[in-house]
Amino acid sequence: MDEGFIPYQQSLEDEEQSIKSTQSVIEQAIAWFRAHSMFVLAYGTGCGAIEMPPTFTSRYDIERLGVVGVATPRQADILIVSGYCSPKTLKRVIRSYEQMSEPKYIIGLGSCTINGGMYWDSYNTIKKLDDFLPVDMYVNGCMPRPEALIEGFVKLQEKIRANSSEAGYIQYRTRYAHYRANQERLFGTQVQPRYEENFAGMNL
Amino acid sequence: MMSYLEEHYELIHKTPRLFALHVTREQLLDTLHQITTHTSFDTLSQLTCTDWIEEERFELGYMLTNALRSHNLMLKCSIARDKVTMPSLALLFAQAEVMERELHEMFGIGFEGNETLYDFALEGWCDIPPMRREFDTLAYVNAHYDFREGREDNLDVKEEIKKRKAAAKSAKETPSGA
Amino acid sequence: MERKVITIYHGPQHPGITGNMSVELDLMGETITRARTHVGYLHRGFEKLIERRTIIQAFTIVCRICVPEPDPNEANFALAVERLAGIEVSERASYIRVMVLEMARLGAQLLWMAGQSGSVGLGTVGQWSIYDRDLILDLFEQLTGGRVYHMYIYPGGVRRELPDGFLERLSALLDYLQKRLDAYDRLFFDNASFQKRAIGVGVVRGEEVLRRGFSGQVLRGCGFARDLRRDNPYLLYDQLEFDIPTQSAGDVYARALVRRAEMRESIRILRQVIAQMPEEGAIMQKLPKHRKFTLPKEDTYVAVESARGEFGYYMAGDGSEMIRRMQVKGPSLIHAFSLLEPLLVGEELSNVALIMNSLGICPPEIER
Repeated sequence: MDEGFIPYQQSLEDEEQSIKSTQSVIEQAIAWFRAHSMFVLAYGTGCGAIEMPPTFTSRYDIERLGVVGVATPRQADILIVSGYCSPKTLKRVIRSYEQMSEPKYIIGLGSCTINGGMYWDSYNTIKKLDDFLPVDMYVNGCMPRPEALIEGFVKLQEKIRANSSEAGYIQYRTRYAHYRANQERLFGTQVQPRYEENFAGMNL
Repeated sequence: MMSYLEEHYELIHKTPRLFALHVTREQLLDTLHQITTHTSFDTLSQLTCTDWIEEERFELGYMLTNALRSHNLMLKCSIARDKVTMPSLALLFAQAEVMERELHEMFGIGFEGNETLYDFALEGWCDIPPMRREFDTLAYVNAHYDFREGREDNLDVKEEIKKRKAAAKSAKETPSGA
Repeated sequence: MERKVITIYHGPQHPGITGNMSVELDLMGETITRARTHVGYLHRGFEKLIERRTIIQAFTIVCRICVPEPDPNEANFALAVERLAGIEVSERASYIRVMVLEMARLGAQLLWMAGQSGSVGLGTVGQWSIYDRDLILDLFEQLTGGRVYHMYIYPGGVRRELPDGFLERLSALLDYLQKRLDAYDRLFFDNASFQKRAIGVGVVRGEEVLRRGFSGQVLRGCGFARDLRRDNPYLLYDQLEFDIPTQSAGDVYARALVRRAEMRESIRILRQVIAQMPEEGAIMQKLPKHRKFTLPKEDTYVAVESARGEFGYYMAGDGSEMIRRMQVKGPSLIHAFSLLEPLLVGEELSNVALIMNSLGICPPEIER
């Protein structure tokens, strides 16, 4: 089975162009290690969860890219938000994301995370995930096939290796007021504790 | 089994294996008691609610099934939309508790005697109960969520068909006119 | 010494949960003293969305109500609309529907096997069974164009003719799966480490289980041969030969054995379908145009046997092209609340995932 392998092969061949020469050798090495050990917290928020087992098991075997599932946010680098989020779930997703240690990235899986998808007129799903959390990579489709998810990971690897300041977790720190305002607008009085306290002493 | 029902109630045959009968709110508990003791319909399998807003009533449906799972009987009970309480069946059927809890949240129907009528699926909902007909989900969405720009499929189908027909017509006319 | 009760949430973000839901547990040491189910993380308001859509528009979203096994939704929707609108389906379309439903059942059982084995730490079984399920999904893709969501069983028939050579490929896959099932027996069902964890855990028993509205493997695992395909037949199931496997112990292992036997029965049904399916015949009835496709002011209830139990739709029309009310009755609503909550009391914390998987609780169908 060679599904998903071809884009990965290409990304190896195009490697030289994708890496900015502004990075030092050490930075490049660290970014390379990061890109090849992605620990995934798969939060099955919606239907997307059903295509995760095929992606992670023997047929599509995403482990060859260094992608491994973990059970707790504390060990994870990547959060997959697999499908529509109801406000009730979104609170838990934000909580899980804030518990992860940096650097951390988010993959939004399925059309419903992008623009509401099938549920555009549903009173209980959010329509734009990136209003509330910094999404690094969207994979569209309803459902996205495992190949699409693999390609999403390959693109995310490139992004990780580019090591830019555009990365989601840096955005979440620097533009926290924006994300927080959106969260407060949706959740009203039931809003979560502030994340800022976690990086109070940090030099932003 | 059927003869008892035929004798005592006005049974509506929907299909050979699905029956319905109408009861009033006051008769409900008594009828349920009679049916569960005298016939084999002794399991509550679903509790439905339909909102007939133009007739100012909710129609509750108590779906009963027998131990062989071969026949279904639906007890239909209409109640006014404004003062909406029903007696709870939680003491008769354990599974009724969660079904009533769901209907309480989705339609705002009170069930007297059910202690568990707190949040079911929604968290901190303070609008009209969402399954009532007067709740407009699209208006709620527009008030609470932002759509991504560029999403174009949120269109009125009738108008779009008209527009497309007009466009096709004018496209046809232009070459002949030129 | 004072004994302290602590409360923890098992889920919604937890690898041992069967989906996006959570169970609040009071623990005394490792033992559960009280359990409460919390749902609502997946509520999309399907029943509201369907009230706003015409029949053809509603058809595209019903399959999303239950993700692991979407086809019973399509079948229910089609059966209910056909009954209300008075549409007859051709024999060939019915055979294709039975075939799709049984393939979906096989796929769902294989997916269940991965979850159940994962909950006792047997990772290999999941690697195998998900692969085998993917082979079924490949056939679905050839037939319908979609791997997971098929949107195939439509009121009036099915949407597409079978591709060339489809039945031969299905037949070859069944031969393969038949062999694999023997391997699963050795790897999983007869595995001592699974038996030790599963026997005597999560016991459901007694006469009153029938009155409490349970269905599916919960009933068949404690000796009641209840299966809607036999008890209240729909489509062509009354013309097909199959057994209803039962066990008497009522524990997790009994339910696993029931599912093991059901996979073989599904293969048996599929072989009969392949042999008996008429070669020629319409697959779709002529339907009214989109806006003229209306339902009379009547209501009905249809139910099919899904891989987890009775899956029913209540549907009411009001004379317009919209459906006035469609209410879903999945087996998981009763199983996740009035069965799971008392069942967990007295069990160890490590058995929660095991029991939830064996009940086959599927959260998206609880809250829709």
